[in-house]
Amino acid sequence: MGLLENRFDDNVVVEKLDKLLSWARSTSPWFFQFGTACCAIEMMAAAASRHDLMRIGIIPRSSPRQADVMIVAGTVTMKMALRVKKLYEQMADPKYVVAMGSCATSGGPYWQHGYHVLKGVDLVIPVDVYVPGCPPRPEALIEGLLKLQEQILEGRPLTRKTG
Amino acid sequence: MSEDKQKLINDAVEKALSGDADAVNNIEDRVTRAKAKAALVKAKREQPKKEDSNDDASKSDEKEQPLSDNTVQKVSASLIAKFPKSLDGEQNSDWIQLKPESWFEIAKWLKDNPDFYFDSLQCNTGFDLGEGLLESRYNLHSMKHLHSIEIRIKVSVEKPDIPSVESIWRVADWFERETYDMFGINFIGHSDLRRILLPEDWEGWPLRKDYEEQETYHGIVVPKVKEGWE
Repeated sequence: MGLLENRFDDNVVVEKLDKLLSWARSTSPWFFQFGTACCAIEMMAAAASRHDLMRIGIIPRSSPRQADVMIVAGTVTMKMALRVKKLYEQMADPKYVVAMGSCATSGGPYWQHGYHVLKGVDLVIPVDVYVPGCPPRPEALIEGLLKLQEQILEGRPLTRKTG
Repeated sequence: MSEDKQKLINDAVEKALSGDADAVNNIEDRVTRAKAKAALVKAKREQPKKEDSNDDASKSDEKEQPLSDNTVQKVSASLIAKFPKSLDGEQNSDWIQLKPESWFEIAKWLKDNPDFYFDSLQCNTGFDLGEGLLESRYNLHSMKHLHSIEIRIKVSVEKPDIPSVESIWRVADWFERETYDMFGINFIGHSDLRRILLPEDWEGWPLRKDYEEQETYHGIVVPKVKEGWE
């Protein structure tokens, strides 16, 4: 049916360039390797051999310039919030943020009396995926990253936004 | 346990207590030897107590006082002799309450005096006592004599000035910076009195009882804002 039918050989798939790009992005969201508190230990465990984030195409990078995803792993203090914001601004587009653990999503145990703790990292930078837990197990983080991959896959980088 | 073995153990313990140390070690059976050793330890532990209770009561008064109390009393006695009027208010046997004015000279003396030789400042921390009073507490320890004391210095909120002991104990540098950071106690003579934990442009002293957190910090809201999360 249509214009493209029977025009190509076998083993050729025809798709939108938009979808190809977002597929490529979603399969290698390299994350920025930094942790602010105890959640970082679980993040390290997720990246290590037992849980092995590399099998879903995710590896840690040590520079914000080379990273696509920022996993905010742990408590963000007011002093650190300015630095986190600066690091986020140093990352190249397209960039995504995963808020890992209670502290990064809402302030966690410092919610009521923590004068020095940022009540959720989304007050400073836009967050794509929230992973609850104190700290979340590596499985939970992997679930969050898979959700992020789904989100990236749905993205249409070349389509002009209306409105 | 058979009666023979029990008898063997009892004999060995009695011999050991009367001075023959090999009596227990010469028991051949390993299990019995271990049991005899345990019995010996137990017997030794009970022995001095019995002697104490049997002895005359006049001696026990001196023994009751622990070593640390003696140190505090010893130090405060020499303090009164050396620095009269330096003590602040009523004293007790647990700590020494000082006035801030001559603290630097006293600290130097406490470190240099060969009788006390407090070469280690283990901790300095602040307290808000309420009613407009702040307190700085110092825990001193001597590596040589293995004794320790606590010094407390009260200051008013209006004029929270205490001489810095940074040049005497190097570790006081960061201790005093932290106390300054949390309570706003000014350590006069400190070479680098900045905030250590909080950002430098933070407002207020968080561990004071009347502290109220600021509304914003560099445009970021400080108090909790997300309603309906609880």
